[in-house]
Amino acid sequence: MSPRPPLSLEPDVSATRPSRPTLAVSRRPVILAVLIAIIVAACGGGATPRPSVPPDATGSLLPPLTVTAPPSASPSPAFPTSLTDDEGTTVALKAEPRRVVSLTPAETEILFAIGAGPRVVGKVEDIANFPPAAKGVPIVGTFNGVDVEKIVAAGADLVIAGGSGGTPTDAITKLRSLGVPVLVVYASDVKGALHDIELTGSAVGHQAEATALTASMQAGFDQVAQATAGASKPRVFYETGDQPAIYGIADNSVYAQMIGLAGATPITTGSATNWEMSTEKLVAADPQLIILGDSAYGVTADAVAKRPGWADLAAVKARAIKPIDDIVVTRPGPRLVDGLWLLVAAIHPEIVLPSPPAPSPAASGG
Amino acid sequence: MSGDDAVLELAGVSGGYGRRDVVHDVDLRVRAGERLAIVGPNGAGKSTLLRLVTGLLAPTAGEIRVGGTRLASLSRDAIARRIAVVPQLASLPFSARVEEVVALGRLPYEDPLRGPGPADRAIVSAAIDRVGLGRLIGRDARELSLGERQLVLLAVAVAQAAAIVILDEPTVHLDIRHQVEVMDLLADLNERDGRTIIAVLHDLHLAARTLPRIVVLDGGRVVADGPPAEALDADRIRDVFGVDPAVMPEGPWSHAPGAAGAQSPDITSTTGAAR
Amino acid sequence: MATRRDAMAVQAVIGLPLPRRRPTVVAVAGIVGLVVALLAGVGLGSVAVAPGDTIGILAHRLLGLNLAQTWTPQAETIVWDLRLPRVLEAMVVGAGLAVAGTTFQGLLRNPLADPYVLGTASGAALGAAIAVLIPIRIVFLEFGLLQGLAFVGALGSVTVVYRLARVGGGTQMTSLLLTGYAFGSLLAAGLAMAMYLSGAALRQIFAYLLGSFESASWANLGGLLPIVLIASLLVLARARSLNGLLLGEDAAAHLGIDVRRERAILLALASLITAACVAVSGLIGFIGLVIPHVVRLVVGPNARFVLPLSALIGAGLLAVADIFARSVGEIPVGVVTAAIGAPFFLFLLRRTQRGYEL
Repeated sequence: MSPRPPLSLEPDVSATRPSRPTLAVSRRPVILAVLIAIIVAACGGGATPRPSVPPDATGSLLPPLTVTAPPSASPSPAFPTSLTDDEGTTVALKAEPRRVVSLTPAETEILFAIGAGPRVVGKVEDIANFPPAAKGVPIVGTFNGVDVEKIVAAGADLVIAGGSGGTPTDAITKLRSLGVPVLVVYASDVKGALHDIELTGSAVGHQAEATALTASMQAGFDQVAQATAGASKPRVFYETGDQPAIYGIADNSVYAQMIGLAGATPITTGSATNWEMSTEKLVAADPQLIILGDSAYGVTADAVAKRPGWADLAAVKARAIKPIDDIVVTRPGPRLVDGLWLLVAAIHPEIVLPSPPAPSPAASGG
Repeated sequence: MSGDDAVLELAGVSGGYGRRDVVHDVDLRVRAGERLAIVGPNGAGKSTLLRLVTGLLAPTAGEIRVGGTRLASLSRDAIARRIAVVPQLASLPFSARVEEVVALGRLPYEDPLRGPGPADRAIVSAAIDRVGLGRLIGRDARELSLGERQLVLLAVAVAQAAAIVILDEPTVHLDIRHQVEVMDLLADLNERDGRTIIAVLHDLHLAARTLPRIVVLDGGRVVADGPPAEALDADRIRDVFGVDPAVMPEGPWSHAPGAAGAQSPDITSTTGAAR
Repeated sequence: MATRRDAMAVQAVIGLPLPRRRPTVVAVAGIVGLVVALLAGVGLGSVAVAPGDTIGILAHRLLGLNLAQTWTPQAETIVWDLRLPRVLEAMVVGAGLAVAGTTFQGLLRNPLADPYVLGTASGAALGAAIAVLIPIRIVFLEFGLLQGLAFVGALGSVTVVYRLARVGGGTQMTSLLLTGYAFGSLLAAGLAMAMYLSGAALRQIFAYLLGSFESASWANLGGLLPIVLIASLLVLARARSLNGLLLGEDAAAHLGIDVRRERAILLALASLITAACVAVSGLIGFIGLVIPHVVRLVVGPNARFVLPLSALIGAGLLAVADIFARSVGEIPVGVVTAAIGAPFFLFLLRRTQRGYEL
């Protein structure tokens, strides 16, 4: 798959997944991990990446600045600062960014949720188009690529891009070479999603709002954990695609985490990298509930029930096949909590939860 | 014969491909201005001998001298200025005009950076006229008939202005008229320019009729070297070519060796066909 | 063709001049094309920059003129850092591929040869794919791992093919061609495997395969231009050897060309040019195949003319193709060149089917 975070970070070998809600699933046998290990070993034991620091206006390369709290009574200024993005790159921000470009749909949601919406001057095309306030923001990128000219023309002083190939690396390199700070975010689990929200907050000087948002999200997760603590944990198969083969969820993926949080036992493919679910494995696992993450692509409960070999599954016999809004379930943004609510509603309809906690008033200004 | 006027000399030359030698212990002396044919059955080593003579193949034994100088000591350019080779066929991957093909004959003299000069162009023009292809200037060489193409290849050799012209089966694809044309041209090049002509021929009759010296190759060795009457007598035909001379058209082999009626071959053209 | 023959015969008789080869026409057309491409390349883009501003920016940066700055710094960045290096890089790659294509066609004596025929493409693609898959980011002088491995892959595969072909039978060139095909297929299998394993990074690999100038930069140009320029000039200096090969390898040797040495040198130079081009811009097809033929149609097979004129025309054509590709929504430039080149390629095939035995 795409380049994972460099080896200097925690060796979390979680499966990587594009942050946009598509059916693109990675298929990666263990062979690749071995191959890469061999190549890495051959390359001299893991070369550490040289952090690329964008030149400042005078053209010289400044060493990365560190934030030091001045020994004064007034609150320490948040900028200039330097942040480490999810790829381990240290990005220096000389001043608080006023013109932000978001290159992942999740980031667009996050920026608006933490109150930095007015500063977003460019966004990537979003299949879900959320939040509504973002509708007027000019589009500077699509699934096919990013228009660097437009980003430059918009005078961006911060770009937040998607890692793991979400934003083409060429564009990231190009922008950095032009002196535009680019933060690359990539959340492979719930913890990562929360971290990215806080990182975004630090980047735009809205730490307080970001912290409040993550706190409320965490509160929501905790709330759900409490509510489902005593309930039985049904076996749930979450389908992420049906063409050309049946795709489920990989071990340790965001999906698996979310389903676990919602009080269920996720049926995974047995591999951290391969998302294809063999029918045999599925029959052996015998899910009690099937959630159709690919319902947006036209997969219906009837179609599922008719599949050969599926008729004997407990879920099919009980007709426990439910569609769900896949985007909300996994988009690593403020609505992740909403996704959890949707999952709980599907898995434990008997548990009645209050509405998901709204972000704190300070951040809801959009 | 003194050794000094030998324009080409092979002494004890052996050579081949890989480990096996195809040509064994060949001695050959060619004087300037001679015309001779090299004949022999298939696999006798004629082509190999040609490659040895032109330096494409290094001999495993013996020495080859061109104009007194050892072949091995000459650069490819230098060899090309002394020996021109006319192949029987050449394929052109791109279309090229007749004059552009003939201009290739000047390559051994060209300045690598500047290319051909006006003198070269004049020589090319002259070569085309000499060979009688004036009417074909501007034509795509790939569209010509086989006979015309052979003449183009001959013109290349003429433009090359080499003292020795070697032809590798030049008449294989030609009709009788063009065969005669080519042999007439060779005779002309020999008489007017004094060029040495060595032609590998498969057509014994043509060889006997048109060339005064025949070298017969068999199994990589020279088994005969002399006028057609001697080199191609009936015994030789039987031994070397494994054929009863009676089935062949009239030639030096048709009479018993030493018979009073043996005639010297007619080396002029048998038709008065103009070029 | 019968009528053409008759016409020529008539012309020869009446003494009218036959159609001449016109290298100067091609040269002028090429230069005009380059100028047009340059202007369009810096003037057009997804963000509108007034033509006056564009010219002002160029004058300011190139000639140091200090005119009244009517443009924004963003416009200057767009014109100078984004568009100009891109159009220049497209020109250099176009020229390089055309020169390499001419050389390979002459060396292999095959009108259907292109710069990728000896496994260069597969080697570069496999190198790029491996670079995408390796979770290491190395940036050296702004050249990334992908460019480095693509370059190494391209040169490496040509070297292997050359070594392997030595032991083959048949003429050297035939065995080179066949070995290139076989080894290229092997590499392509490796590439297919890498693509299969790549998951989301497949798009990145695919973008490389289709070729693009998206990542063009002054740094790229700084690495690319010297290689392509110097190697092309060295090839031009050996045009005599290329011409000699017209009638065949043996004929070339008989005309005074040291075939083994010249072949090795020309192969190395053409492969170097190709490797440099594919390293920065991916696999762009049809330029190296088609441009030399178009030029030969007008100026004949003399490599002394075909090499520089193909470079000129190739540069202009690829620059225009790239402008077109990014104007209609950033489609890969390889798609545009294929759309132009494929019909011409078919036309070429039909012509060569008439046979070229001399």
